[in-house]
Amino acid sequence: MDAILVSIVAYAKLILLSMVPFVLAGQGTMLGGRTGVFNVAQEGIMLVGASVGFLVSYLSGSIVLGMAAAMAAGALFGLALAYFTTHLKMDQFVIGLALFFIGVGLSTLLPKLIIGVTLTPPLVPTLKDLPVPLLSKIPLLGEIFFNQNVLVYVSILVSVALWWYLYRTKLGLELRSVGENPQAADSLGINVTRARYWSAIIGGMMIGLAGAYLPMVYTGTFTEGMVKGRGWLAIALTFFGGWKPLTILYGAAFFATIEVLAYRVQVVGTGIPYQFLLMLPYLATIVVMILTFGKTRAPAFLGQNYDRERRAL
Amino acid sequence: MVILRMEGIRKAFGGVPALDGVHFELHPNEIHGLLGGNGAGKTTLMNILFGLYRMDSGDVFLHSKKISISAPRDAIAQRINMVHQHFLQVDSFTVLENILMGAPLKESLTMRFGEEEKKIAAIQKRFGLEIDLGATLGDLPMGTRQKVEILKALYRGVEILILDEPTTNLTPQEVDALFLSLREMVKEGLSIVFITHKLREVLSVCDRITVLRNGRNVTTLRKGEAPEEEFVRGMVGEEMNLEKSILFSGIRESRAAPLPGGEALLKLEGAGLRTADGLQRLKELSFEVRPGEIFGVAGVAGNGQTELAELVLGLQPPTAGRVLVSGRDVRERTTAQLLGEDVAYIPEDRLHDGFLPKANIAQNLILGAQRSRPYSNGWLIDWKTVFASAQEMIAQYHIKTAGPGEVGGNLSGGNIQRVMIARAFSREAPLLVAHNPTRGLDIPSMDFVYSKFLERKAAGRASLLISEDLDELLLLCDRIGVIYKGEILGILPREKFEKYAIGQLMSGVRREA
Ligand SMILES: Nc1ncnc2c1ncn2[C@@H]1O[C@H](COP(=O)(O)OP(=O)(O)OP(=O)(O)O)[C@@H](O)[C@H]1O
Ligand SMILES: [Mg+2]
Repeated sequence: MDAILVSIVAYAKLILLSMVPFVLAGQGTMLGGRTGVFNVAQEGIMLVGASVGFLVSYLSGSIVLGMAAAMAAGALFGLALAYFTTHLKMDQFVIGLALFFIGVGLSTLLPKLIIGVTLTPPLVPTLKDLPVPLLSKIPLLGEIFFNQNVLVYVSILVSVALWWYLYRTKLGLELRSVGENPQAADSLGINVTRARYWSAIIGGMMIGLAGAYLPMVYTGTFTEGMVKGRGWLAIALTFFGGWKPLTILYGAAFFATIEVLAYRVQVVGTGIPYQFLLMLPYLATIVVMILTFGKTRAPAFLGQNYDRERRAL
Repeated sequence: MVILRMEGIRKAFGGVPALDGVHFELHPNEIHGLLGGNGAGKTTLMNILFGLYRMDSGDVFLHSKKISISAPRDAIAQRINMVHQHFLQVDSFTVLENILMGAPLKESLTMRFGEEEKKIAAIQKRFGLEIDLGATLGDLPMGTRQKVEILKALYRGVEILILDEPTTNLTPQEVDALFLSLREMVKEGLSIVFITHKLREVLSVCDRITVLRNGRNVTTLRKGEAPEEEFVRGMVGEEMNLEKSILFSGIRESRAAPLPGGEALLKLEGAGLRTADGLQRLKELSFEVRPGEIFGVAGVAGNGQTELAELVLGLQPPTAGRVLVSGRDVRERTTAQLLGEDVAYIPEDRLHDGFLPKANIAQNLILGAQRSRPYSNGWLIDWKTVFASAQEMIAQYHIKTAGPGEVGGNLSGGNIQRVMIARAFSREAPLLVAHNPTRGLDIPSMDFVYSKFLERKAAGRASLLISEDLDELLLLCDRIGVIYKGEILGILPREKFEKYAIGQLMSGVRREA
């Protein structure tokens, strides 16, 4: 009895822990999309975030500095996306793919340039659990929810804050209007360009941080391609989360559950081929997409660029 | 005294001039009609004033001070506001959110709108703009959306109000109410620029008019100083022959032709429509439209007209009774088949249902017929033929455009309507379903459309003309059915046409049998 309970708690805790990259990347994608900027470079930005975050923590010895650097790198990618699409009005999808490839390349290039090839992998200390005073003492729940690393708390708080921002504030209303009908927003004096820049930049920051989470919590080091498709999954997550912060949060828990299960099954060794387990999150994505089909909607102006003087929007 | 002066305004789109040195002056406390044919540049001029378009050259003076407006927010800051011809609204937001978006709020962190709602309610009451503020905008009929657009501008408090064809979707009563409010606003110190194609409105409400043609000034007239004929001439242009026009001479007024015979091309047998949530949209409709007949459907907007059109097009299957097109139940064919074979359709909401703003003119002109000859052999579209016939239609229907390859959305409102007219009439389909076909057209184009209807009649084709413009119906139709709350309250033949009687039926008063 006790043993089962303990392992359930351990699982639940692990799911919450593995949820973070999905939450952060999903919310980052959502934020940009709410002004019509559709980021598809998550995988690349997360890799850069992981690489830069790791390097800076390694060199400076400060994990906080590492996180800040990963966010700055993500912000730069967001800025680039906003500039090319909002300013130069280039195709969002093409730019996004280009940024993805640049991200992949940079993420492996930077460690080689800065640290070089080493025999044993360089390590950074991983993020420690930060028990919340009092709350972490609650039986079971305390262990699951209040005895986690700081980014678990941050990602949940950010999700709630984003919900409040989007649906309960004037600025949020205006932000959403830009992604629905920028011409209407513009005609009411809302600064469309500024909204798109900020949402893309902050979205990029969150995606960069999502990437940095991987070396800082899971491995302690950077390895090539360590994001393993989580960036692509974040896009799917945002879609079936209906571009809503809270639904994205729940959806992230769902992905995390599958990830944890697939990992467990692999460790236990049931004879299910390893490749199949790797496919699992994507299969689940398709199933969920079918189930939620028609029930969710994306911002009407998603993926498009706004030009005031063009009538054909 | 001049409150606003625009001088030497030039604007070209892709090298084609839309405005070519236009002057415009607005006096305080006046309603100034800005007139001109479709594509004359009215919307473009006002979009420049509002900051949506940037002029190539020219000057704008407000209170004799030169101002530069580079975005709508600059215009709003100068207390200039605009009601747009093609509504700028967020479909997924509520009416309230659409109005308050971008405006300062008292509580900007809670989205509690108590204060603001009170202010809106006061404006609503004052100007008779009754709208449910909680409704989702995308669900609303065109007329209501138009009122939202007006409310949006009024809420912001303005000194100069630009109204770009604000009455196209309003009922005559609503138009009267709007005019009363406009008069009141002007008394309180507002100045209004009013764009319209309707003669009656110009004559009844405008103090002065400025007429544009092809991006140039034609004339500016003051009411009382110029005879009414000059106003009319200014509106319709030099070329139009008033004697020969159907609109002005009322050619059809006297002629009560015998009802044509032949098998009905459209027949409704007790057709009804009930929505999934149990609302009765249409009730027991029975009438037929015969070859060579123009059957009119009169009624106040929102009484089931849209549903009727969708029923005939097979977009919604009837939940009771039958609808027969050319003798065949509409349910036997898909809408695509109907459109390719027997029916041509001019939908009410041109931007949402009838037009692809991103596709080019040629593509828009064949929309619906893209699978039939001569445009296609069933597999591939023959673009050469399509472009050739598009070229022809552009000439024949006077569509003002750079060519068949131009993006559809760039056209002026009236020219988009002309595309839909050209598409529908050139199909020479046995049955035409036209819902407010002349909405937004200038007077000569309207007249042209009327002549096309009569051509169809002469050729023995049937037309179902659903219109909110009673004059139009009286002019063209052989019979008029009046629709009220989804029911046809009466069908009148031409010799019984009488404005008052029809008006009564439209408001739901049944005549004694
Ligand atoms: N954004 C744009 N891109 C390209 N061409 C444009 C654009 N806006 C307007 N035009 C062109 O400028 C000309 C004037 O258009 P405008 O909309 O001002 O006409 P209008 O007088 O308002 O006509 P209507 O009565 O039909 O509304 C048209 O030929 C139109 O095709
Ligand atoms: Mg116009």
